[in-house]
Amino acid sequence: MNEARHSQATPSRTDGVAPALGSSDEAAVPAAPTSRPLEITSALGALVFLGALAFLARRIELRAETGGVDPRWWPELLGTVGLVLAVALLVVSVVRPASRDDLEASTRAGFVRVGITVALTAAYLVAWPLVGFLAATPVFLLALTAVFGGRGWQVLLGFPALTTGFIYLLFHTLLEVPL
Amino acid sequence: MNVLVDGLAPLLDPTVLVCLLAGLLVGTLVGAFPGVTGSMAVALAAGFTLTLEPVQGLAVLLTIYVGANYGDRIPSILVNTPGTPAAIATTLDGYPLAKQGKAGLALVASSFVTTGGILVSMAVFLLAARPIAQLALNFGPAEMFALVVFGLTVMISISSRSILKGVIAGIGGLAIATVGRDPVTGDERFVFGVNDLNSGLPFIAVIIGLFGIAELFDQLLVHRAHVLRPISSLGRWWPTRGELAQMRKPFALGSVIGTVVGIVPAAGGDIAGLIGWDRAKRMSKEPEKFGKGSLEGLAAADTSSSATLGGSLTTTMALGIPGDSVMAVMIGSMVIWGLQPGPSLFSNDPELVVTIAAIMIVATVLSLGISLVRMRGMVRLLDLPHHFLWAGILIFCVVGTYTTTNSMYTVWVMLGSGVLGLAMKRTGFPAGPVVLGLLLGPLAEANLRRTLLIDGPTALVTQPISAVLLVLALVGLATPIVARVRASRRAEAPSERPRAAAGRSR
Repeated sequence: MNEARHSQATPSRTDGVAPALGSSDEAAVPAAPTSRPLEITSALGALVFLGALAFLARRIELRAETGGVDPRWWPELLGTVGLVLAVALLVVSVVRPASRDDLEASTRAGFVRVGITVALTAAYLVAWPLVGFLAATPVFLLALTAVFGGRGWQVLLGFPALTTGFIYLLFHTLLEVPL
Repeated sequence: MNVLVDGLAPLLDPTVLVCLLAGLLVGTLVGAFPGVTGSMAVALAAGFTLTLEPVQGLAVLLTIYVGANYGDRIPSILVNTPGTPAAIATTLDGYPLAKQGKAGLALVASSFVTTGGILVSMAVFLLAARPIAQLALNFGPAEMFALVVFGLTVMISISSRSILKGVIAGIGGLAIATVGRDPVTGDERFVFGVNDLNSGLPFIAVIIGLFGIAELFDQLLVHRAHVLRPISSLGRWWPTRGELAQMRKPFALGSVIGTVVGIVPAAGGDIAGLIGWDRAKRMSKEPEKFGKGSLEGLAAADTSSSATLGGSLTTTMALGIPGDSVMAVMIGSMVIWGLQPGPSLFSNDPELVVTIAAIMIVATVLSLGISLVRMRGMVRLLDLPHHFLWAGILIFCVVGTYTTTNSMYTVWVMLGSGVLGLAMKRTGFPAGPVVLGLLLGPLAEANLRRTLLIDGPTALVTQPISAVLLVLALVGLATPIVARVRASRRAEAPSERPRAAAGRSR
């Protein structure tokens, strides 16, 4: 929970440069730049979510209408208070967008890596029930390892095969979880 | 006496011992890999430990928690990169010591003070947890609601740079907790005709997504090709008598600071380590050596961060409020096993409390042994390529989550939570308050509604404990805001002085 403050709290950090995970101090990387559009977008996201909460809370169907402190009351309260705070956040985002110097700057390659990983995971979740765990998992792991920079047949074939076998033995055989 | 015997007996079960060793191995490895945090590992392990018996599962989760506190010191000392946030302060003197050719000494000294810190804090747990739980047994709905609010606000003030975003994240967590059946009347809320939503969102999947997957995606996003250059010359290993004597005072100071910080809900080893290091520097006869390879600094930092373990266990088990992020995940697992951490645990399952304490103590002693014997081998782990680590974490998160319900729906929730968690992390919304809100939401809602229906709203401020907790919650939220305003005024003051002086000269 305190990971977000991780680099912020490190006294050795210099302004605008965050220490990288897996790097020595000689290999410092740039911190994420302050972004007003990103701050406004995130505030709008919060506004929509909490607005929807307040709106939908009023439409909760009850078995018995008692009024007062009923099942609608708590989500409605959360939605209303949250909506007010989200408006305040939107104002702050426009007037004084928050600094992001506690985060490392993302890279274009990083966005591609995350996008492909999410897509591969989604495809794996679709494929698993269709073709089975033992067929889908090695292919998924091979693709992931290749995307993450693994090269050579030993890495691309050996690692997925061993990991699939280990997981199958651990979960299916030892813990008796049907995979 | 029976409680003690009944509590210690499960540890003689060979399967529990296997779980202990497995947890220690995983915990130490996890700690040694920079970027894999203790909460991430416990969240990941929570998936497949749900298929085990509660004591076996607790043995795995608690030993990962302990083991990570040893492993994370290795990269802090050898590559100046904390293995987990709890080892941030270790880098301040650990790495300079390693650069002086004293890496072996730093690693061994760190293991000793870490062991001492955890054991001292566990003694506090054994002494204080029961009285705190007995006090909390007298809490009515108003006090319980105030306690949840207090825990949530501390979490928000600690984990958020922006209090506004922290509060919104907390409200988000409380809102997600309303999905499913109403805790008082059983009415359906936000189910939209989807059967899976009837019992609410699966919180283990949400926790694994927010802590495990989001952290992994963030690493994928920011990763740059670096060459790790661990210190290869480890030098001598064992401290001299003079060096041991030098560490006594910072060890005592760190034990107190760590235990107190650990008891504060949501505050963890990272904060305690930095406070301990700073306090030891102020009290040292050689403060100028701090940050340049001081054994005192290393001892204070590592004792403080490790002594939070017993403190946070006390808060978690006695009050049912997570002492830190790992304990938040632990509460999630315990609830699924049918165990409710909190005051009632001490009256309903007193032997389980003894078992938990025994697991922590045995894990600490075994961790010391492993870290002293296998230190040289663990150093080599830092060379493991990222593609194995990332692919391994992702597949274990997926399969671990699947095993909690044997349903793909749960895994989709985890993936969605992971993407949401990444967006939150990149925009400064902390995940901690969401998880805490999700876990404690039903407790907060049910107790607030009971208070309002039975005693009316005035009970929240007329009951002394409730009033004190709510005032503390307000202070907790206001303090960082006031501190920031003061800091910005101080920063503006020097630039205004010349202008004011120029104005006067005119």
